Amino acid sequence: MLSKKRTISQLVDEWQYDEEMKQNIVAMHTIDEKQAQYADFPSNLHPSIIKALHGRGIEQLYIHQRQAFDYAQQQKHFTAITPTASGKSYCYHLPVLQQILEDRSSRAIYLFPTKALAQDQKSDLNELIELMDEDILSYTYDGDTAPGIRQKIRKAGHIVMTNPDMLHSGILPHHTKWVSLFENLKYIVIDELHTYKGVFGSHVAHVIRRLQRICEFYGSNPIFICTSATIKNPKELAESLTNSKHELIEQSGAPVGKKTFIFYNPPIVHPTFGVRRSAVLEVRDISKRLFEAGIQTIIFAKSRVRVEMLVTYLKSLTAKKIMDESIQGYRGGYLPSERREIEKGLRTGSIQMVVSTNALELGVDIGQLQACIMTGYPGNIASAWQQAGRAGRRQDEALIVYVAQSTALDQYVVQNPSYLLGSSPEEARINPENLLILMEHLKCAAFELPFSMEDTYGEYEVQELLAYLEEEGVLVRTSTKWHWMSDRFPAHEISLRSAAQENVVIIDISTPANTKVIGEMDTYSAMTLLHEEAIYLHQGTQFQVEKLDWEEKKAFVREVDVDYFTDANLAVELKVLSEDKSAPFKNSTVSYGDVSILAIPTIFKKIRFNTHDNIGSGPISIPPMEMHTNATWMSFELPNNWTEEQLTDALTGAAYAMGSFIPLFIHCDRSDVSVVPQVKAVHNEKPTLFIYDSYPGGIGLSERVYDVLLSLLERTAQHVENCPCQQGCPSCIGAQDSLGENKKQVMKVLNILINEMM
Amino acid sequence: MSYENKLLQMKKLLGKKTEQKKEKPKFIKPEPPFYSEQWQQAGLELVENEFGMLFKREVHYPFDYKHGDYKLGELFPSLMRWELLAEDHPFAISGDETIVFFDTETTGLKGAGTHIFLLGFLEADDEGFTLTQYVLADPSNEAALLFESKLWQRNVTIVSYNGKSFDWPQLQVRWTLNQQFLPPLKSQRQIDLLHSTKRLWKDDLSRMKLTQVEQDKLGFNRIGDIPGHLAPIIYFDAVKSGNAETLMKVLLHNEWDLLSLITLYIHSTNLLFDDISTESATTYTNIGKWFGDLKKRQTSTEILQAVTTHFEAKDTGYAHYYLAYELKRIGETDLAIQSFQTALPAIPVRKQLQAYEQLAMLYEHKVKDYEQAYIYTKIGNNLLPEIPFQKESHLQNQRKNWQKRLSRLEIKRNKNFFDKK
Repeated sequence: MLSKKRTISQLVDEWQYDEEMKQNIVAMHTIDEKQAQYADFPSNLHPSIIKALHGRGIEQLYIHQRQAFDYAQQQKHFTAITPTASGKSYCYHLPVLQQILEDRSSRAIYLFPTKALAQDQKSDLNELIELMDEDILSYTYDGDTAPGIRQKIRKAGHIVMTNPDMLHSGILPHHTKWVSLFENLKYIVIDELHTYKGVFGSHVAHVIRRLQRICEFYGSNPIFICTSATIKNPKELAESLTNSKHELIEQSGAPVGKKTFIFYNPPIVHPTFGVRRSAVLEVRDISKRLFEAGIQTIIFAKSRVRVEMLVTYLKSLTAKKIMDESIQGYRGGYLPSERREIEKGLRTGSIQMVVSTNALELGVDIGQLQACIMTGYPGNIASAWQQAGRAGRRQDEALIVYVAQSTALDQYVVQNPSYLLGSSPEEARINPENLLILMEHLKCAAFELPFSMEDTYGEYEVQELLAYLEEEGVLVRTSTKWHWMSDRFPAHEISLRSAAQENVVIIDISTPANTKVIGEMDTYSAMTLLHEEAIYLHQGTQFQVEKLDWEEKKAFVREVDVDYFTDANLAVELKVLSEDKSAPFKNSTVSYGDVSILAIPTIFKKIRFNTHDNIGSGPISIPPMEMHTNATWMSFELPNNWTEEQLTDALTGAAYAMGSFIPLFIHCDRSDVSVVPQVKAVHNEKPTLFIYDSYPGGIGLSERVYDVLLSLLERTAQHVENCPCQQGCPSCIGAQDSLGENKKQVMKVLNILINEMM
Repeated sequence: MSYENKLLQMKKLLGKKTEQKKEKPKFIKPEPPFYSEQWQQAGLELVENEFGMLFKREVHYPFDYKHGDYKLGELFPSLMRWELLAEDHPFAISGDETIVFFDTETTGLKGAGTHIFLLGFLEADDEGFTLTQYVLADPSNEAALLFESKLWQRNVTIVSYNGKSFDWPQLQVRWTLNQQFLPPLKSQRQIDLLHSTKRLWKDDLSRMKLTQVEQDKLGFNRIGDIPGHLAPIIYFDAVKSGNAETLMKVLLHNEWDLLSLITLYIHSTNLLFDDISTESATTYTNIGKWFGDLKKRQTSTEILQAVTTHFEAKDTGYAHYYLAYELKRIGETDLAIQSFQTALPAIPVRKQLQAYEQLAMLYEHKVKDYEQAYIYTKIGNNLLPEIPFQKESHLQNQRKNWQKRLSRLEIKRNKNFFDKK
């Protein structure tokens, strides 16, 4: 029998002659390898470090690593842009180790966005320290750290690796137990800076301000070292996250292996409606080819549901082999032990294919994968490159297949490969000024150390806010200071990861004697994913939600075997609370301000696997959720000769298309910002398009939209116009129920709005 | 001297710019709070020191003051018993030590934002016992409160209830926050009566709260006590409103806690020294086990044996069970087997499993009766499914062990059988 094993270049050659494949390959692009740029070791680099580097076969540094060392020596905060596999960890290891070798009392904190990353970096660092043959102690400190060694870490760990959540609730509120760390803190390393965006980033910005406040109390003044994937505004992000001036290192000296990008668009199966074949199905087929060719592959899918669907499909490839673990899923809801197993399997090669959400985008060390498939555009360029970077980490040839979904943004990218390959990436925004977030952390800060009557907090004047907290009864004002005066522990009342503070626990009751928790989910997602009768997928197994206890935040699920999945809808009501900015045009106004949103889950649909037919539906009985947030809105007059019904359809289409393009301008996920049309807005009875942040209090995204609204409208109009469909399709204005003029109507509305703003 | 050498000499002069040590910030003495008068009227004494002010309450008791079943002065005979024993015991206090009974009231459970607002001390002097309570005037006057405690100066033995893991660490937190100004807190010997209470009354008392122990063991019932969890709110109210009426009830609560610490120490000491009398079989078994864990094997065996003769069989399961281990340790195989067998009907299923395992081991390795060993292994193995394990993996491990023992014994049995033939 002929072996099916292939190399990547053999496979790519074959595909160009393969009838099935080649018609769908829209573009193919090769990025040539790039030579390394080196610099000498710094003259004062400690001999032990040199010994360790030599031990790893390193005789020279890359230019960015050298630059990093020099900035640190000059006591300057800096941020380094580091592509995957560029040896970024040396940018911080070298200065930190140098400092510790020069002064043994020195300490450093490494901050990673997740526990997994910290643990991964610890093994790498310890290996380096071993080669140095020096007595330097580095530890991870997180929820998994055994109580027995916590004391030792506090007292003696030179390098403490942790995550923002642990810093927030496990370290800062107990700073008196960490005196020697805070007194001698020389460096704070923030790895994966680009992940600190949106709500999470805004929270972390405050955690860092609290950290700085405590350092000041103990008399230390640490230097910040940040590393980031490519984003548009790394310096700005670092500066606003750390409230400090940063130097920027942009140019990487690391070599890059040859990368082949394939832009793949699923075939159109229904020309009139512009419906393409499901990207998930295409990915399944391409994965099958890669699996048979023996190529270790990572498949990215955007949602948990997608991951589970693909795992289900792909596991059938190995169904005939008993106990075969070579295909695995990997996503946020899994338990840590499951995830560690999978990471290990990838490194050792016992797992050949992994299907992941963006959880694996970050620097978790899973060794060398050869190919990467993106199921759809991950939402921003930085993520796309992170995902692509998963393939061929160590200068080997790599294959990246981008499979477009039928959404507008995906279709835009597949038709304009240069957007992904050439254009500058998006901005990452945080908004530490979000008053809800600020107040929560101000409480934590007051808990940690009293405020004097002159104190500021970070860059903020907070005396009036402190007076407010006194009225609220959590602070007491003495002759000199504001003191915390409550038996509450404020850090436990905030979760950094999401604005919705509670999680729903998912409990498997399939075996009555052995019920167990199999995962958890934030409340907002739970509204549409864990309602009663929902099909919840976990490691490719289907579960049906039997009972959802919304009060207690528990979902009871039972294993089932059905041929469909479920999809739920939310209805939204909007009220304007206050208007902060406003720009009048001829017959319209664009405003920005605070709004109140009421989200009401309505119905869910059952959709059959493979064919994706709608085979049933039902109501959802979960109470509505109210949220106050920021929004930008545009109100205009009902155009002549238009009925309200016509306008409703046209605005819905326009909103759909606009929503897809917001991530082109701002580094955020499609779901971070929502676009909702109202034909008669409650506050002024005029047709209005609302664009709001999907998080309580807002995180500055819709405020940014206020500035780029015209460009957004233009880009949207251009795309809808160029879309090859006739009556509108999921790639432009959303699927249409009936054959009609709606696409033309959407274009009319968009043009009216553009003309207004010109 | 060569040029290089000269340069090297000068290198010392060059020196790197060392970080300048920040000057110690000057302490600014805080103002007295607006309610100073009111708190004094409520019955507190105002104390001033170089760090500010605090409030104080002092109460004296004669030696024959009765708190529940005991007089406070009975502490001295108890201490004498330890002195005479002259053995190492975590509970023993020597005559050289200064004993201070200690309890705090706090505004929360953990973290840098939890204040200690009341430091209570109870100690003996020439005329009797003196209670001294220091009350935080307000959080700005914290250094004054800590300084007044003299815990930076004196060497004492602190006797507390859960103080080892709560009150003392919390005091360390407060001290660290004021470390710029205060002399360092001395580390002091800690005797935590919660620890001994758990050892004595495990499975005998349903809760280990001090009030529960007072009721069930010390003959003291509180009337008009405020529950401890309200203490934070009461202190906040006193600071915010200036009214200290209710705060005085927290001081009374703290006073009772401290008095009970003395009688608890007396009562516990008596239990450890006296022969079996009024307490339950469980308590005396616990005592026997405690001595065993402290490697006082003879005392342990004596007490456990006394329990087995003194109480009814249904109450002495554990005593036989622990005794069996002691007997096994000293090589009394037959007696150990007997004790395990006697224990079986009166111990819970999880312990039964261990007893069966021990019996199987004794028969296999000591008596070399593989038939008996096999029977006990069989019973143990059958018992496994009835035991709730926290983790599936624990059950799997157990299952594996029992299976291994079973198959090994099967081989030995058969071999024995054929050898005999």
